[in-house]
Amino acid sequence: MESAALRTHFVFKIRSKTVWLFRASLVLVLVLLTIPVFGEDDFAGEWAPLFHEDNPERLPGPELGDYMGIPINDAARLRGDSYDADRISVVTEYQCRPHGGDYSMRGLSNMRIDSIIDPVTQQLVAIHTRMNFQEMERTIWLDGRPHPSGMAPHTFQGFSTATWDGNMLNVYTTHLKESYLRRNGLPRSSKATFREHWVRHGNYLTVVTAITDPAFLTETMVRSQTWVLDPNQRLGRDICEYGPEVPAPRGVVPAHLPGMNPFLHEVANWYGLPYEATRGGAETLYPEYQLKMPKPDTHPEKCERYCDCGNTGLGCNLNPTKR
Amino acid sequence: MNLKSRLLATTVAMSAIPAAMFAQAPPGTGLTAKAAAPIDLTGYWVSVVTEDWRYRMLTAPKGDYYSLPLTPEARKVADTWDAAKDVAQGKQCMAYGAPAVMRQPSRVHIGWDNDNALKVEIDAGKQTRLFAFGAPRPTSEPTLEGSSVAQWQSPQITRFYTSKISAQDPNTPGFRGQTPVGSAPPDTRKLGGTLKVVTTHLKPGYLRNNGVPYSANAVLTEYYDIHQDAGQEYLVITSIVEDPQYLYVPWVVSNQFRREADGSKWNPQPCELILSSK
Repeated sequence: MESAALRTHFVFKIRSKTVWLFRASLVLVLVLLTIPVFGEDDFAGEWAPLFHEDNPERLPGPELGDYMGIPINDAARLRGDSYDADRISVVTEYQCRPHGGDYSMRGLSNMRIDSIIDPVTQQLVAIHTRMNFQEMERTIWLDGRPHPSGMAPHTFQGFSTATWDGNMLNVYTTHLKESYLRRNGLPRSSKATFREHWVRHGNYLTVVTAITDPAFLTETMVRSQTWVLDPNQRLGRDICEYGPEVPAPRGVVPAHLPGMNPFLHEVANWYGLPYEATRGGAETLYPEYQLKMPKPDTHPEKCERYCDCGNTGLGCNLNPTKR
Repeated sequence: MNLKSRLLATTVAMSAIPAAMFAQAPPGTGLTAKAAAPIDLTGYWVSVVTEDWRYRMLTAPKGDYYSLPLTPEARKVADTWDAAKDVAQGKQCMAYGAPAVMRQPSRVHIGWDNDNALKVEIDAGKQTRLFAFGAPRPTSEPTLEGSSVAQWQSPQITRFYTSKISAQDPNTPGFRGQTPVGSAPPDTRKLGGTLKVVTTHLKPGYLRNNGVPYSANAVLTEYYDIHQDAGQEYLVITSIVEDPQYLYVPWVVSNQFRREADGSKWNPQPCELILSSK
């Protein structure tokens, strides 16, 4: 009898402890759920791009053969050299391409960012971006989901997940369809992945994009873009219609055979640059290259092309005499 | 203390963690800027010139003002630029002032000058900047590097005030009876943060090597952030130059640097114009 009473008492104590553990755990979970996730900046809103860097490349478009500042390999150079600017006028399949997810932050588009909130937990599940160029839409998942299998479809925007590090959002994107590093034929392969680092400073947003591409880059390419909050901005639609702009026989893809592109020296000559430097490569990205770069062939006394791009916010004049 | 009490105490203590976490190193806690640093900027960094390559690696030709939101007055001034005259007058360092120097291809060495000031040395042009936390170091004359006031920004510091206000309100759930001011705050370096630097008292100089001016009234605001990619550590500096005389909107750019293991590639060079004819 005494033994049974002790056992009952012991079981009761265990049950009591179990109930209290359960209750305490429940309280703890509820407490944690009600705590805002401090540190997360709110990126939601209307953002306008600032083209205060590389304006002529990003708006009217890069010069042919301008590979400056990109750590490309010879394979990328060969692809770039074969590019003919008529390609997008002739090959209609190229005409309505959106930018790749890695290029879109540099491209000529405004952006709206929405926060996707779980209605039950009120946790941030994803960030959604829309850009009014080729209707680009992208979702960046923050709910801890894994990236899909490598066999899953590759898209222009890719598959993005993100985590927070204090006030910085770190984004990782895979499953990219082949696109470009620069809009003059420098390719970026479908093997590439990229990481982004978003940080908001008041009304400014800085996004660093770090692209790794085993096919076309010899080292990670890091670029950054800045945006300014523009609450009055409203995005419109951007419906692309394709059609042949330059007459050409069906099936023709304008291109240059290796060593046959006559336009590659233009950028060096127009801007007074060493031709070798315009060919890009990791070596050219660092300060010591200033000391060993060769002399250019030409020395323009005055700027002659795209001199005022971005000066007034009204676009670019190719010829400065018209400004 | 019985089990029930211990669990209750644990739960209450856990609920107080946020208040303690976000109360790091705000002004008034007695911590030095060095002790409160949410990120470690010290060390050697090298410019990674992947943007605006042709005007950063070389001196752009006269009249090349792309990407700059200039006023007509700025264009007028820049149109009179004469490189030879600058050299003759010893003005080679005009493009090495604070608003432009971090865009020069360079190596940057950041270290603590004292517990409340960071020293930033740039090998290009042999420039030195001092970021003072709290009151700026008084200067009698405007200088190329100007007078810089620094401030750490982190989620913890931002939330400190919220926590404090909440704790003072006895009806605020989750904060009742808590003391948010941490006398011995935990290390928050892994939680991230930003260094904000505001620079004024500048001597007029060039935003670009080819004579694009900024005035003595220019204000430079910079944000220093660190991130990691492919096993490398990078520093990105978002730079905002406000100068109503010469810029019709603030000029905003971001510059990347990669951390280097040591100063073996440190190579101080005098200010110079990297002309295409060099």
